[in-house]
Amino acid sequence: MGTVGLKSVQKSFGDTTIVEQLDLDFPDGSFTVLVGPSGCGKSTTLRMIAGLESVSGGTITINGKDVTHLEPRDRNIAMVFQNYALYPHLTVLENIAFPLRATKIPREAARQRAQEIADSLGLGHLTHRKPKELSGGQQQRVAIGRAIIREPAVFLFDEPLSNLDAKLRVETRSELLAIQRRLGVTSIYVTHDQEEAMTLSDRMVVMREGKIAQVGTPSEVYSSPTNVFVATFVGSPKMNILPGVLEDSTFTIESGHSWSLPHAHAGSVFVGLRPEDLLLVPDDRGHAVIEQIELLGPRAVVALSLSGVKLVSVVEAAELASLAVGKAVTVTFRPESTHLFDGDTEERVPTQVLQREG
Amino acid sequence: MSSRTLMSALRGAFLISALAAVLFPLTWVTLASFKTPQQLNDPSLIVFQPSLINWSYVFEAGILQAAGRSAFVAGITVLISAIVGSAAAYVISTYKAGGSATRFGILAAQVLPPAVLVFPFLTLAYVLRVNDTLIPLIFAHLSFVLPVVTWFLIGFFDSVPRSLEEQARVDGFTRFKAFLLVVLPQVYPGLGAAVIFGFTLSWNDMFYGLILTPSKSAILPVAIAGFNTFRGVELGSMSAAILVAVVPVVIASFFIQKRLVQGISGGAVKY
Amino acid sequence: MLLPLLAVSGVAVGLPLAYAFYLSLTNFSLTQQGPAGFVGVDNYQGSLTNEGLWSAIGTTATYVVIAVTLETILGLLIALSLQKQKWARDITRSMLLAPMFITPIAVGLTFRFLLNDQLGAIPYLLDGVGISYDFLGTGNALLTLALIDVWQWTPFMVLLLLAGLESIPKQPMEAARVDGAGALYIFRRITLPLLVPILSVAILLRSLDALKVFEYVYATTRGGPGTETETIQYFTYQTGIQFFRLGEASSMAFILLAIVLPLIIILFRRLDRAK
Repeated sequence: MGTVGLKSVQKSFGDTTIVEQLDLDFPDGSFTVLVGPSGCGKSTTLRMIAGLESVSGGTITINGKDVTHLEPRDRNIAMVFQNYALYPHLTVLENIAFPLRATKIPREAARQRAQEIADSLGLGHLTHRKPKELSGGQQQRVAIGRAIIREPAVFLFDEPLSNLDAKLRVETRSELLAIQRRLGVTSIYVTHDQEEAMTLSDRMVVMREGKIAQVGTPSEVYSSPTNVFVATFVGSPKMNILPGVLEDSTFTIESGHSWSLPHAHAGSVFVGLRPEDLLLVPDDRGHAVIEQIELLGPRAVVALSLSGVKLVSVVEAAELASLAVGKAVTVTFRPESTHLFDGDTEERVPTQVLQREG
Repeated sequence: MSSRTLMSALRGAFLISALAAVLFPLTWVTLASFKTPQQLNDPSLIVFQPSLINWSYVFEAGILQAAGRSAFVAGITVLISAIVGSAAAYVISTYKAGGSATRFGILAAQVLPPAVLVFPFLTLAYVLRVNDTLIPLIFAHLSFVLPVVTWFLIGFFDSVPRSLEEQARVDGFTRFKAFLLVVLPQVYPGLGAAVIFGFTLSWNDMFYGLILTPSKSAILPVAIAGFNTFRGVELGSMSAAILVAVVPVVIASFFIQKRLVQGISGGAVKY
Repeated sequence: MLLPLLAVSGVAVGLPLAYAFYLSLTNFSLTQQGPAGFVGVDNYQGSLTNEGLWSAIGTTATYVVIAVTLETILGLLIALSLQKQKWARDITRSMLLAPMFITPIAVGLTFRFLLNDQLGAIPYLLDGVGISYDFLGTGNALLTLALIDVWQWTPFMVLLLLAGLESIPKQPMEAARVDGAGALYIFRRITLPLLVPILSVAILLRSLDALKVFEYVYATTRGGPGTETETIQYFTYQTGIQFFRLGEASSMAFILLAIVLPLIIILFRRLDRAK
């Protein structure tokens, strides 16, 4: 069992507030990812849950018990740091067994358990090595093994994959997920990489400047971002954001180009379009010019300029036959795939595509 | 190419001369310690029949006891400094305990001219009737060895990642246990260097020794100074006494050179 | 955990310091029987107008300037050479660093006899090339002592400068070489400026240590000829121990402390900056 609850949790240093009045619940067995740009407060929040950072206000509960003022060792948690924090002077086996030294479990039993865990992680043959003799991926697994052995209520991860190269990162990601599913321990994971957040989490918490911007499943956050920030943060390449005015179901941007957009809302807006929703039609009298094409295997990223406005579209490789750098295209989109945001608040405007008249 | 080899040759020649300059006085002293008074009168004598007369003289004169006293004082000083210093260095490095004022005080205590502190030590020693014993000397040596060891260790604790201690705390240990089991082991090499360096500083001191324990419990450097006369007959014994003081320390110094710079600069520079 | 340090330092440093200050305000003399009489700033007045003290300060200053300058230049040359050395690196370095670990009195006495005109090897060798030089005689003694300092402490400079040289980034120099700059130019414009932080720390540390010079004087000239080699610490020692005037000696020590304190502050700031 491992539920975590944050109520009005705040962290301030003097006049600066790093984390503001956070309310968040982590259900038992969930894998929640806190994601956001650097400085958004995600690591600070994680460290407050761990007890490494004191809380300026609010309460933190684990399994219903108030742990706000408890030392980390009394919270029944385990944590994996970005640099794995393996004890350099201990062997792999001793590293994994280390947390049990704080308990009454006898040395022999602890070593045995550590060996079992090492075996299950594919480290069985490395138990007598010191951390510096291991590869990055192996070190990571030792850190995970050390976290597992205490059978904690909650796993905390502070950007554990940032130190790995790209390919290893992807492999380790799936391993991590598999382990978490197998053990069913509530996990809270911090990263600045939105792709990682999307693939790992069953729940994403997008943070910005100490506040929660959106909470939801990856697909919710991807398909219905609540504001411009979340919309541009999640998804790669970034969502195209067009500032303009929506009036009488027509959306007009500054340069004068306009599209039909059946919607009841009127006023200044931001229209968001994911690159895959930005459709290109080759047209000699088109209003946009292709500036760059990057082939990514089955797809290609096409960068265009629409009278100075930079846009990005993603097309199937097959469509490239009719596209080339310097060619003119017309940019169009299906109204249902637009994301509408208020021009002032940048908040999502509920999409209600009007029935076509007639 | 040839200007490179010329530079290389010059460099080599320069280093060899430096080495020669270093080894010359040491060799001379070593030779002198094995010369009889008559042989000493001739400075050009290099090949000669060695004699142990100086060595038996200094041993009889109590050089080993003086060395023993030096070792005792140095040992106690270093022991206290190591324990007190590592605890202090840890909190100063990790939690910035005491702020700049403490660190400044530690630096100042290291470089303080002994003339400032010696008179109170002397007076208090007289008052407490412990003058000419080793007790005031231990305190006097602590006054500079403790700051040196602490300063050294601050530099080494600085290079231990904070996350190690945090990991240990999350893994179930108190801050103190985390320090003892995880952080301290990381600085063992630095601690070793600090201990050897501190020992050397105490072993080499003459100023405090001369003033606080001039006769009965003279420590080694003071004993050596006691052989200081113009008579050639003492020159040989003096040389032997010098070697007793010098050889152990120079050997010990080989082991600490790698870490010395990091310690002296308090962590500002690593070697 | 800081408490033990503060406690022990309090006893080993703080109390004596305070007591020393108190002493400096008395006319305490070891030979007197009764309690010390409070004389306020008389000692300080006396010391500040004491020609002997100012002469000692001047002598020490000259000594420090000569010794540390030579040590810096020599140390830099040796460090540069060691850096490029390829054969027998560790053993050469170990041997070159040995002098700084020897107890200074031993160094002083060794040189006293090495330079002795009857028994010493150096006058003998110089005689062989027709040079006769009175090392510890009038006009030469202070320089000779400074050279002894150079022998013992250049390794200290080498140690720090070598570490400094090995820690400065190589890219700027490689880039300059690719651009065609000569070795001297690279040294002057790139290496030296990057070395300034550790160089200033080394110079300050060494200077603070050099001005404490006592053992060399005690071993060789005992302040002579005349008062030529009377350094501050030796002068204070004489006042306090040979003449027993502890109160006066304490005041001199504190004047020395006042002179030294600004240097310590500068050193402290430099070390912080180097981090």
